[in-house]
Amino acid sequence: MSPFELLTPETVDEAIAELRSADDPRPAVLAGGTDLLLDIEDGRTAPARVVSLRRLPWRTLDWVGGALSVGSTLSLRSLEADPAVRERLPGLWEAIHAVGSVALRHRATLGGNLGRAAPASDLVPMLLALDAEVELVGPGGVRRTPVDAFVRASRRTALGPAELIRGIRIPEARPSAYRWQRVRPANDISQIAVAAAFSPSRRSWSVAVGGMPPRPILLPEVARDLGPGAPNEPARRSACARASREVAIAADQRASEEYRRRLIGTLLDRAIRAVTIAGEGRP
Amino acid sequence: MTAAARPDLALKLAGGARYGTDLDRPGMLWAALVPSPVAHGRVRSVDLAPARRRPGVVAIDADDLPGLLPGGGGDADRPIFPANEIAYRNQPLAAVAAPTLAEARRAAAAVRIDVAPLPALIDLETAFPEWPGSEAARSPHVIAHVHARHGDLADAFRTADRVVEETYRTSGVHQVPLEPHACVASVADGRWRVETSTQSPFGVREDVASLLGIPEADVVVEGAWVGGGFGGKGSSLLEPYALLLSRAAERPVRLALDYRQEFELGRTTLPSVIRLTTAVRDGRIVARRVRLLLDVGSSLPGRDFATGYSIGFLLGPYRAPAFEVEGYGVRTNKPPFGPHRAPFAPQCAFAVESHLDEVARAVGRDPVAFRAEHLWHDGDTTPFGQRVGPFGAAAALEQARATAERWRAAAPPGHGVGIGIGFWSTNTGAGGEVRLVLSPTGLTIVQGEREIGSGSVLRGLAAVAERALGLPPDRVRVEYLGTADAPFDSGVFGSRTVGAMGRAIVEASAALRATLAERLGSAGPIRLDLADGELVAVGPDTRRPVRELLAPAERSAGIVATGRHFAKPNAIDEGRVVTGEFYAFTDFTGSVHVAEVAVDRETGAVRVERYAAFQDVGTVVDRATAQAQVEGGIAMGLGIALTEEAVWSEEGRLLNPHLLDYRIPTLGEVPVPDVTFVEGFAGAGPFGAKGLGEPPIVPVPAAVAAAVRDASGAHVTELPLSAERVARALKLL
Repeated sequence: MSPFELLTPETVDEAIAELRSADDPRPAVLAGGTDLLLDIEDGRTAPARVVSLRRLPWRTLDWVGGALSVGSTLSLRSLEADPAVRERLPGLWEAIHAVGSVALRHRATLGGNLGRAAPASDLVPMLLALDAEVELVGPGGVRRTPVDAFVRASRRTALGPAELIRGIRIPEARPSAYRWQRVRPANDISQIAVAAAFSPSRRSWSVAVGGMPPRPILLPEVARDLGPGAPNEPARRSACARASREVAIAADQRASEEYRRRLIGTLLDRAIRAVTIAGEGRP
Repeated sequence: MTAAARPDLALKLAGGARYGTDLDRPGMLWAALVPSPVAHGRVRSVDLAPARRRPGVVAIDADDLPGLLPGGGGDADRPIFPANEIAYRNQPLAAVAAPTLAEARRAAAAVRIDVAPLPALIDLETAFPEWPGSEAARSPHVIAHVHARHGDLADAFRTADRVVEETYRTSGVHQVPLEPHACVASVADGRWRVETSTQSPFGVREDVASLLGIPEADVVVEGAWVGGGFGGKGSSLLEPYALLLSRAAERPVRLALDYRQEFELGRTTLPSVIRLTTAVRDGRIVARRVRLLLDVGSSLPGRDFATGYSIGFLLGPYRAPAFEVEGYGVRTNKPPFGPHRAPFAPQCAFAVESHLDEVARAVGRDPVAFRAEHLWHDGDTTPFGQRVGPFGAAAALEQARATAERWRAAAPPGHGVGIGIGFWSTNTGAGGEVRLVLSPTGLTIVQGEREIGSGSVLRGLAAVAERALGLPPDRVRVEYLGTADAPFDSGVFGSRTVGAMGRAIVEASAALRATLAERLGSAGPIRLDLADGELVAVGPDTRRPVRELLAPAERSAGIVATGRHFAKPNAIDEGRVVTGEFYAFTDFTGSVHVAEVAVDRETGAVRVERYAAFQDVGTVVDRATAQAQVEGGIAMGLGIALTEEAVWSEEGRLLNPHLLDYRIPTLGEVPVPDVTFVEGFAGAGPFGAKGLGEPPIVPVPAAVAAAVRDASGAHVTELPLSAERVARALKLL
């Protein structure tokens, strides 16, 4: 591991100032470190300075009606432990529960996961399906952007040069489900992950798929196929077949293209059924 | 397991055990290897100048060896740095040492390497796109050919009712010790000293002396605490480089692999293709033919042992009137093949068991009953003409079948139950000696094996002495000494520690009893007793404290007795070996496992729900340690069965040299197994014990594969049984 200077700003302004004052390249931002430290250890990145967000007041979780706001440095384990998350956003709870191990989730954060934009993130597919927004803070103030616009590609985000992720907002409680498959159930990366959610306010589905480079993606046509409520079996099957057929798939050593197509159809079918069964046939 | 039972536990839990990766010396330099960028090629030049220009850096390559080694090096076949041809990717072309690890790595990166790449052979099947006939023996890629046969094969195949032929494939697997290879060397005053994480300090001494061309007497190897070996730390790997750098730098030098390098440079089990053909007449096996193509990496002709011992496992523990078995060691551009707990036996058992299931089904027989009818018993000879001796597999199978039937009756839909049978033959190596030292208050076992984590040394050897002398557990201490001071011992491998070193302890104990009897003036048997914290020698009609039996010279040192064990391997019928060398070991140990799995019929995903092991053991010497060996073997075996698979690119780059994509099981995937020891089938060890380090891993992939087939009908012929392979077998893809 190459040496670096660790900065632990006490306030948001100080943190932004650290990012602004730095010469190129931008310092690495530490919000848990479960991904960043692996990259530093393996020499994939060698930042001269690392700005830790641990002292910032962002370990928050607030429900306003059905909307959930999560501070970017709240541990995944804290989020997982909130009974309301499990009840109102079951798919998000399942996705969080699927990340790494308990020990890792005590350190890992939602902001860190988004900011690192790993192609196989277990959280991004669900955040996409929940229409989550990212709240960014920087020298120009605060701005909000949908997760779909924030995550641009593998390891690339819309973060500005001196911006930080302050929090994530999920607009409403949604019946939802997250289904994944891995070679090994724990401490592994999903071969395919599928997130499905139903918006009661809009009467529509959102479906996202992850587990492959370059990034998790929304499947709007598939969601439309599912219609404005609980789909009947032909509609569900046809939507799953479309997802299995149409998603652009990469083959890598974790799974072949044809196996991934098989998994998308199967896991999407299971996710949709989980949502409709949880809602007693009506999402 | 209690802390008292394992004297190393408290030390390890408190962080007091210094493993190889913890070693540190004043004034020490840190070393780094300069890896070959290609898997096959010729070295045009190695320019060390850019590294040497950096402050405090010492760098060496092939050109420096004549100056560092008075004899110019020892083994022309195994040069420290390849003089010309590169055999595998990351093969060290030079080595550097610097005041810090970061500086050493930068210096290694600064070395300018010029190589001319050559076409690399990575996948052994590209060397044999068609299944080869006897011409394979003449292939330039085949560096070892072992061929054995017995009986009238042609007649048996001609008159058979049914002949079943199948091909199986297995993947490369790593040992994955928690601690990678690490050592610290210091060369001074003509002594080549190295402290290292090893399963065999004496093996490293021999290897280093041979590689460097120096006398063994000039080499001193000290074993550090070992953070797991599993076969991967049985011979030298880093020690020659650290020693040469230390000699060049005239300072201690530390060389340790990081985990990626452990995957890339460690010697381990490589892929294979196994074709099995079985002839059946009237419901009985009449002939078997098995051929193995084994990737032996860059092993050298005459230095490939893998093919020679693997063929011993290719027929399983079953009788056949006629057989033919052939193993071809195929040289590829990977690091040399190395042993992994029960080397290649789990892979053989997977192929043999799955194949015999298929044969049984083909002739309408129950797969387990069919195997049971052909299983070895005491009095049988193996296909190679070895005497089987007491063998507990049939007794274990009987119990396993009862468990399997009970589980199957209660299994929910989607679940299946399978039985796997395996055997192991203890390898006692070159033998070993121990020294027992009896003081008035306790016994010390002085010996040269480092505890590698299983407990076989610190607990297993102590348990043997307790039993041999009737001592209470807290009065026996096992002391490790380096090669300069310890009696010779081959090391921890081949399931030999309790079996072979235990025999040496029994012999030394008998000598100690004889000495005590003589001094006590007792003709009858002597035992030791404890009274008021002191050991007392007790004869049939007299007792005296050990303190009073010491000769004057023994007052500080204690009474010393030595024991040795140099076993002869179980002789084979040489007439059955047509070509090559078959490596025969000693006694036979049977293992029968039952697995219950759930198979997801839409994705092929397998989950192991329940597991039971029935282990032939002769005699249990120490129950907690024995239980832990079986549990550990099962956990490791489940990795081979389901998730562990080394993957190389066509250019010979290991694609998953890290624990994220090389997946050993987590505790979540390993059910707590029911372990039953089947005693009474005596082995060659003390009190009839059989070695237990390796047997429990052998039948695991076979048991899981049988359970997967029972659950889903998927007949998977390739390890590991990944969900994708199961899905293909289920025709989902």
